[in-house]
Amino acid sequence: MRAVLALAPGLHRAGGKDTQLTTALGVAAFAVTTALTLSVVGGLLGFVGREAQPQTAYQAEWSDIYVILAWTAVVLLGVPLLSLGGAAARLGVARRDARLATLRLLGVTPREVVGLTLVETSGQGLVGAALGVLLYGLMLPLWALVPFQGSSFTVGELWVGWTVVLVALLAVPLLAAVSGAVSLRRVVLSPLGVARRERPKKLSVVRLLVAVVGVGTFMVISTALGAFGAAAFAFLVGGLALAFAALNVVGPWVLGLLARIQLRRASTPARLLAARRLLDDPRAAWRVVGGLGLAGFVAGALAIVPSLAASSTDDPDQQLLLTDLSTGALLTLVIAFVLAAVSAGVAQAASVLDRRREYALQHLAGVPAELLDEVRRREVLGPLLLVTVGSTAASVLMFAPWLGLTGVSSPGGMVMLAVCLTGGLLLVVGAVESTRPLLRSVLRDPVVRAD
Amino acid sequence: MTARGLAKRFGTTTALAGVDVDLDGGRSLAVMGPSGSGKSTLLHCLAGILVPDAGTVTLRGRAVGALGDRERSLLRRRHYGFVFQFGQLLSELPAIENIALPSMLLGANRKQATALAGQWMHSLGLAGMEQRRPGELSGGQAQRVAVARALITGPAVVFADEPTGALDQATGAEVMRVLTETTRAAGAALVVVTHDATVAGWCDESIAMRDGTVVDRGVLR
Repeated sequence: MRAVLALAPGLHRAGGKDTQLTTALGVAAFAVTTALTLSVVGGLLGFVGREAQPQTAYQAEWSDIYVILAWTAVVLLGVPLLSLGGAAARLGVARRDARLATLRLLGVTPREVVGLTLVETSGQGLVGAALGVLLYGLMLPLWALVPFQGSSFTVGELWVGWTVVLVALLAVPLLAAVSGAVSLRRVVLSPLGVARRERPKKLSVVRLLVAVVGVGTFMVISTALGAFGAAAFAFLVGGLALAFAALNVVGPWVLGLLARIQLRRASTPARLLAARRLLDDPRAAWRVVGGLGLAGFVAGALAIVPSLAASSTDDPDQQLLLTDLSTGALLTLVIAFVLAAVSAGVAQAASVLDRRREYALQHLAGVPAELLDEVRRREVLGPLLLVTVGSTAASVLMFAPWLGLTGVSSPGGMVMLAVCLTGGLLLVVGAVESTRPLLRSVLRDPVVRAD
Repeated sequence: MTARGLAKRFGTTTALAGVDVDLDGGRSLAVMGPSGSGKSTLLHCLAGILVPDAGTVTLRGRAVGALGDRERSLLRRRHYGFVFQFGQLLSELPAIENIALPSMLLGANRKQATALAGQWMHSLGLAGMEQRRPGELSGGQAQRVAVARALITGPAVVFADEPTGALDQATGAEVMRVLTETTRAAGAALVVVTHDATVAGWCDESIAMRDGTVVDRGVLR
């Protein structure tokens, strides 16, 4: 085992420029995940601190609601944050898969393969987490500019403390290692499974059932507990997390369905290739667009806020609460969309690097770069539209027993939804298009290296 | 296709130093030589992938070097076919769609292209494997799919870079038989880059390269 693990740095260096770039992307994604997670937790702790030691009468009276809302934001952002962390861990896994599958063929044991992966991925996670802590430190003064409860937070209020920082430095590499190890199961099970790609397994319809049960549970919980007021929020937040995870389960299954429809109708090479790619690995497509799907879900839930804020009230406390609700909703959405765009960009960059030999050979054979761009765009756009609209609709439906349909029936809510979703779509498309130079650099290299 | 005085340098390394090639439709040429002899660079220059520093490549009276990057891409799509050692098949597409794709790229609709691909599969002994993914084919079957893919557009020249490099000897011989026979029957010229004399033995002519120059020429049949 020790001899094989000692190979890790050498194997990493042997990967050359591509591996370094993939590693850099992975580290950057871990850093963004860590920085935003710490920021969100910092916000939560800030509100908890004000609840414990209120400075004003308003804080004394209303802080408990702020804490509940902050917990809601943590849950809403939790899944996109975990998704990005997972995407970072899986980044370039196909490259590593191929290398490790070769090692398996040479007789390296499954335990040693997992060991190598743990060393490589947790190392990236640790560096990313450390950079993330730094980034969080740099962002603190910015977060401190946002006014809540009539006054801005101080940097001290938003600082999570060294214990949480230490937990992040341990948890991120651990989660990275677990995610990386899980994604390598196929290599461990069969050395040929990855070295020779075979027909992917169909996603089970059980996924749909799980999602229906998850969403249904949330709706039942929210209806049943509606009468109990604020005390029911804790259950609601749990139910929300469950429903959110359910959407993550059903997403790839729905994308597989979309791919089959697109494949039947595909008449041009670009449509055919995009549909086949989507059908080949709907989970990978979900990793690109899922972030925005989850952001769309958040937007659907928060569409209620403008109509609440617009409702006239003479009570200055009520007015302040509603203003803060709008600010918080907007912040949550912006973070969700940034996460979605980073996830999409990282996944696309990884895909270009993983397919570099295939792209280069296609180009040598006369396939124009524009076609490859069109395939990549189509591969993302169809699923993106479906997922965004689908998730928003699911979220409006789920919250209907609790909030009614005010969010989508009021002009304010509709405008907020439209602006957010369009902005989010443009961000993700921009992130995908930003990998064009990377594709061009792959195509410029006429000497196709045998991997 | 003719090439005259091809020269190419990468930094201080001379990859080609004045190479001439003549090849008629229906004939095949083996380009042999050890690693670093310039045979792959020659293939890339002949195929319009690299532009030589000096010399000309002419296909059916048209100077390839005078064309822009886009026109050379179009030339490769319309008039050239490629068979590589491995990896040119798209892993997501079933065999029949891999073969149909170049035809669709030239404007054929999916139905026409798929029907034509089906004919090629039948004639290359691949009937019944239409829906198999590249990962579900043996090495020899995958290379026969690659041969069909290279020939479906009726190219003037087929370039094969170590086409049997990843195969055992018997499978390699079978692939070379299919490659040479089908290109000859299609009236296309064939350029095979190889370091294996047995593979070269399937071709009509051969050139041996060393340090960027042709050191030997032979007519094998």
